[in-house]
Amino acid sequence: MPATKTAPPAKQTVSHAQSHPLLSLWNAYYESTSTRLKTIDAFLVFLVLSGVIQFLYCILVSNFPFNAFLAGCVGQFVLAASLRAQVNPANRSEFKEVSPERAFADFALGSIVLHFFVYNFLG
Amino acid sequence: MPLAYSLPSNLSPATVTNTSSLLRIIALSLISGAAIASRLFAVINFESIIHEFDPWFNYRATRVLAEKGFYEFWNWFDPTAWYPLGRVVGGTIYPGLMATSGVIYNVLHALHLPVDIRNICVLLAPGFSALTAWSTYMFTKEMKDESAGLLAAAFIGIAPGYISRSVAGSYDNEAIAIFLLMFTFYCWIKALKTGSAFFGTLTALFYFYMVAAWGGYAFITNMIPLHALALVLMGRFSSRLYVAYSSWYAIGTLASMQVPFVGFQPVRTSEHMAALGVFGLLQIVAFAELVRAHVSSKQFQSILYGSVIAIAVLGALAFGGLTYKGWIAPWTGRFYSLWDTGYAKKYIPIIASVSEHQPTAWPSFFMDLQFLIFLFPAGVVLCFRELRDEHVFVIIYAVVASYFAGVMVRLMLTLTPVVCVAAAVAFSSLLDTYLDPAEPAVSEAAALSAEADIAADSPASTSAAGTGAAASGTSKKAKKAASADSSSSGFGSGLAAAFSNKSDKSRGIFGLDTRSLVIANALGMLLFFVLHCTYVTQHIIDDFREAYYWLRQNTPKDAVVMSWWDYGYQIAGMADRPTLVDNNTWNNTHIATVGKAMSSSEEVAYPILRKHDVDYVLVIFGGLIGYSGDDINKFLWMVRIAQGVWPDEIQEPNYFTQKGEYRIDDAAPPAMKNSLMYKMSYYRFADLFGGNQAIDRVRGQQVPKTGPTLDHLEEAFTSENWIVRIYQVKKEDPLGRDLKSANAFEQGKKRKKSKPLVRRKAVV
Amino acid sequence: MTIFHRQRSQGMRFLRGLLLPLVALAGFAFARSSTGDSVLVLLDPSLDRDNFSIFFGDLEKQGYKLTFRSPKEAEPQIIKDDVAQFAHVIVFAPDTKSYAADITPQSLVSLLNKNTNLLLALSTKQTPITSLAAEFSLILPPPGTPLISHFPERDTPATIIPVEPPRAQSLVSSNLAPIWFSGVPQALGNNPMLVPFLKAPPQSFASDGDSDSGSDALVEAAEKGGEGLWAGSQLSLVTGFQTLKNARATWVGGIDMFTDEFFNKEVSKGKQSGNRQFARDVTAWTFQESNVLRIDTVEHHRVNETLPRETYTINDRVTYTAYISKFNPELDLWEPYSNIKDMQLEFTMLDPHIRTALPPVPGEPGKYSVTFRVPDRHGVFKFVVDYKRKGSTYLESTTVVPVVPPRHDEYPRFLSAAWPYYAGAISTSAAFVIFVALWLGGDEREPKKGKGAKAE
Repeated sequence: MPATKTAPPAKQTVSHAQSHPLLSLWNAYYESTSTRLKTIDAFLVFLVLSGVIQFLYCILVSNFPFNAFLAGCVGQFVLAASLRAQVNPANRSEFKEVSPERAFADFALGSIVLHFFVYNFLG
Repeated sequence: MPLAYSLPSNLSPATVTNTSSLLRIIALSLISGAAIASRLFAVINFESIIHEFDPWFNYRATRVLAEKGFYEFWNWFDPTAWYPLGRVVGGTIYPGLMATSGVIYNVLHALHLPVDIRNICVLLAPGFSALTAWSTYMFTKEMKDESAGLLAAAFIGIAPGYISRSVAGSYDNEAIAIFLLMFTFYCWIKALKTGSAFFGTLTALFYFYMVAAWGGYAFITNMIPLHALALVLMGRFSSRLYVAYSSWYAIGTLASMQVPFVGFQPVRTSEHMAALGVFGLLQIVAFAELVRAHVSSKQFQSILYGSVIAIAVLGALAFGGLTYKGWIAPWTGRFYSLWDTGYAKKYIPIIASVSEHQPTAWPSFFMDLQFLIFLFPAGVVLCFRELRDEHVFVIIYAVVASYFAGVMVRLMLTLTPVVCVAAAVAFSSLLDTYLDPAEPAVSEAAALSAEADIAADSPASTSAAGTGAAASGTSKKAKKAASADSSSSGFGSGLAAAFSNKSDKSRGIFGLDTRSLVIANALGMLLFFVLHCTYVTQHIIDDFREAYYWLRQNTPKDAVVMSWWDYGYQIAGMADRPTLVDNNTWNNTHIATVGKAMSSSEEVAYPILRKHDVDYVLVIFGGLIGYSGDDINKFLWMVRIAQGVWPDEIQEPNYFTQKGEYRIDDAAPPAMKNSLMYKMSYYRFADLFGGNQAIDRVRGQQVPKTGPTLDHLEEAFTSENWIVRIYQVKKEDPLGRDLKSANAFEQGKKRKKSKPLVRRKAVV
Repeated sequence: MTIFHRQRSQGMRFLRGLLLPLVALAGFAFARSSTGDSVLVLLDPSLDRDNFSIFFGDLEKQGYKLTFRSPKEAEPQIIKDDVAQFAHVIVFAPDTKSYAADITPQSLVSLLNKNTNLLLALSTKQTPITSLAAEFSLILPPPGTPLISHFPERDTPATIIPVEPPRAQSLVSSNLAPIWFSGVPQALGNNPMLVPFLKAPPQSFASDGDSDSGSDALVEAAEKGGEGLWAGSQLSLVTGFQTLKNARATWVGGIDMFTDEFFNKEVSKGKQSGNRQFARDVTAWTFQESNVLRIDTVEHHRVNETLPRETYTINDRVTYTAYISKFNPELDLWEPYSNIKDMQLEFTMLDPHIRTALPPVPGEPGKYSVTFRVPDRHGVFKFVVDYKRKGSTYLESTTVVPVVPPRHDEYPRFLSAAWPYYAGAISTSAAFVIFVALWLGGDEREPKKGKGAKAE
């Protein structure tokens, strides 16, 4: 299976290896990830938070405009995640035909289409 | 390496590439032309007219769209259908087909080409069949190569199974749906191969189009998740899969919910849950992969896998719970009928009564696909040999579609493309093997005794072979030298060779005669296929049009016509009269009401007819000229459907004789003889034979000499061949009598003397 | 089936009380039928026209143009080229057994269907006309059994009976003197279209008039609870019948009651019989002078609009209006009529979804109006007015109107409860824009860490 070779930087941080696994995960992530990916990740975290809030609202208060709930941010999340997968240098071998620029263009296109439908749905 | 025939060596690679791409383009356009032309026979032979049942409705809807614009169409409430319930057309149809025609219509008019909307509707299906050929070419190209793609395009272009649904005038959803199906699959394969969100989005957009166009979109909705799931289970998860699937699902689902008829089904019904489940699974797997990429700890990984499985189990439980609580609709009846062919007959006769929903008869596989059906398994096996991601898709598609095609005639259509693709792969492998000029080394070839034997005594005569397969085959004449067994086993061995051709170049074919023989054989089959495909019978009986025209000319505009639902769309489209039930069989009770009226006696049926304001009743009767698709043959379905709603009043066994026979002659049971349907069909039928024994040519039975009488209806019209009979429902008698005695009075019969009514009982 | 009410409306009674005495007093008053003046009288040659001079004279004074014809003559035809030639037909041929070819029970019924009114006389003999009576749910006694009553004591034969006119019957003038009758009674079937004008006296019965021997049969029948017995006040002597198409046919048990002799015969000393006025009342009803109503127009529109819509949306508030007129025979014109108090409107799709009173609008004569909310159900609905009362014209009106679901832009949008979702969607879009800006802005490439790591 490809895309499993990003481990080496994590191994170098020996000092953290024995500590809490989550911490080591964080460290590994922090050090081995480029700023670009971090930007994406920040975006993802925002989307997750937004989604969680909406989901809670749906459960706790009202799901009456059901369509509005569905039009939420899951779509944007997976698109961003896709972008992340594509631009992640670790996955270069998988996406031979997709350059990061191309990936971003695809992402933008997909998002615009998505937003088009979201707003169509809201109205 | 020895060559069986020489190839010109003085061509630059660029020339070869250019020529071949030019040839490809020419071939594709020829195929498109052939696909369109072969569908125009009906128009050339007869006239530009809409066929069948459903197309009439689509045509009527398109006219509304073209005349009144999209928003009016969107809000169209058709008061003439399902009288008096009416039909919210905008919310109960797949508008893709009409929207397509509407767009074409508007574009043409914007270009100042005043084309009649009817011609667009008539010619839409042939036009889209060309696009189907093209998208099949693209799809197959992803599977194998361009030449296989060309073959597949040619196959689908003229496959009878597809032609029959897309001849000019058969203006139905399937006409564009097969193109969309193939193109969506092509986009999906492309997205999966490249891992491009662009193609994922494209998949979603065409998926949206498909959802808008055909109820069969559920096939895609389940095929793609199935493929993704199979890949995950095969350990082939990749980020490409993640990208392709996520972008397709997120955008496609949201888009599909824009279609009013679909609404919230994608998150509410079980049919769509597979897609959602796989989507969730992919997120989890992707997350796990991501974490695993950062952490190498083995324990951590096992914990991770454990949690993945736990989440999956939880998800399944949640799904079950939601279904139980009614949040997610359970499987619909139509869906069950796909698993248990007897289910529909038992519980939902309305579905089982549709001829398209019957299990497919084996001959129709051959009729629809001819020799492709034999090549189909070979193609699937070839897919196994390579088994890239896209081949997994074809295999799954083949298995699923074969099953469904066996269950329901209608789903034959979804099988056709994959058969064409697989057959094209097999056929092109065969041609590749036999046209490959390279000959194997003799010593190694000895292992393959059969081929070697044939090859050994054939002199290697060389001659220039054309680039195109067709050219080479037809210019060659088969050599006598080939032994008898080779001709019989030639095809099989060709396939065997095809299986092995990639693995080892040392295997192969010697000589030219073997090649030419096999290829001639294969081309002969192709030729037969083409002949078979052009054997399309179009027999239009004019009675229908005659009758509908009569209705249009002679009845008031708001006269309600009752008929069995098969003819609802035609009456609405051709006669422009309100109907009680039509081919959009959404209301079982209403259909059962019609069934009850048809299968009850006049006295019972009359109040039903009056309550529904029925002015005319139309029946189809084939007994005179032997048209077997008539209402008497469908009658038992009416009885069954009515029985489903009124089990106390209508019972199917009453319509059979004591011996359990279905008879219309003297031995017919009273329930049969008194039924409105029987009476309307055989009213005055015996008179036609002038005293001779009247014979029903469909049932092959003798009709009683004294035919049925009608009191509550009167014959209004009977078409030339007696296929369509229209009866007018009498109004209530102005004197308040029941119509039977009113009728007896009109005929001068004496009424029985009556006595004053008893006012009170005697006190004893 | 609509239920027929016997009860007359107050208003009609009032009107009748006003109009009919006028007619009665001024015998020469010029009154006309609402359907036409031409009358064909099929008079049997055995009956002398002069015996009916008062009756026919009264009709002519009313403005009717009488044409006489013997039943056996071929001309003038009653139906020519499928068109009825006369507005009314009087069949005074109670004993005639054979008619010209154009007069059959069937052709008489078809006359009714062409809105021609009939006045038919019966006798104790069996004729084609008596067999026709059965089609009108009239049950006649066997041939040769006239109505007999021995009460009150009088000097006439038992078959000539003075009958008390009905009291609470708006179709017949009030305060009439008793009416001389001689003929056959009719038992009535269960047909709601029958309108009995004159009921037999309670003491009367149908029997063999010569010997009065039917008394045994009477006793016998009485023991069986009255089965098979033509006796008592349930019998009708003069019966009107209004077909569904509003043509009227009146069956008279005996023709003698229209003779000059009966007209002038005294019921008691110095008191003339009520026959003449009764004959006038019966012909007025039969020839559609009295109790003739019609719906002029119906309108429907949404509240606050004036023009009707092609379709209505569910839950719309809709106003339905009907304008009703009554024929005034005095002036030969239709006048707005507001005196119907019990009319109903139904809004029907298969079954009535709404059934509401359709009351007259005060101050606007002839106008009946109601406003109601369209049910929450789409489909092809009908506004149905179906007002059927014994004796007056049936008022029927059906207006088909489709009720449609709201259009796509008529649903509520942008609900307040959904604002978190709107906020979510907008914030997502905003974040997307920011993200894109960051991405494009931060274009200077990071040192390719990942790539470097990958390159191992």
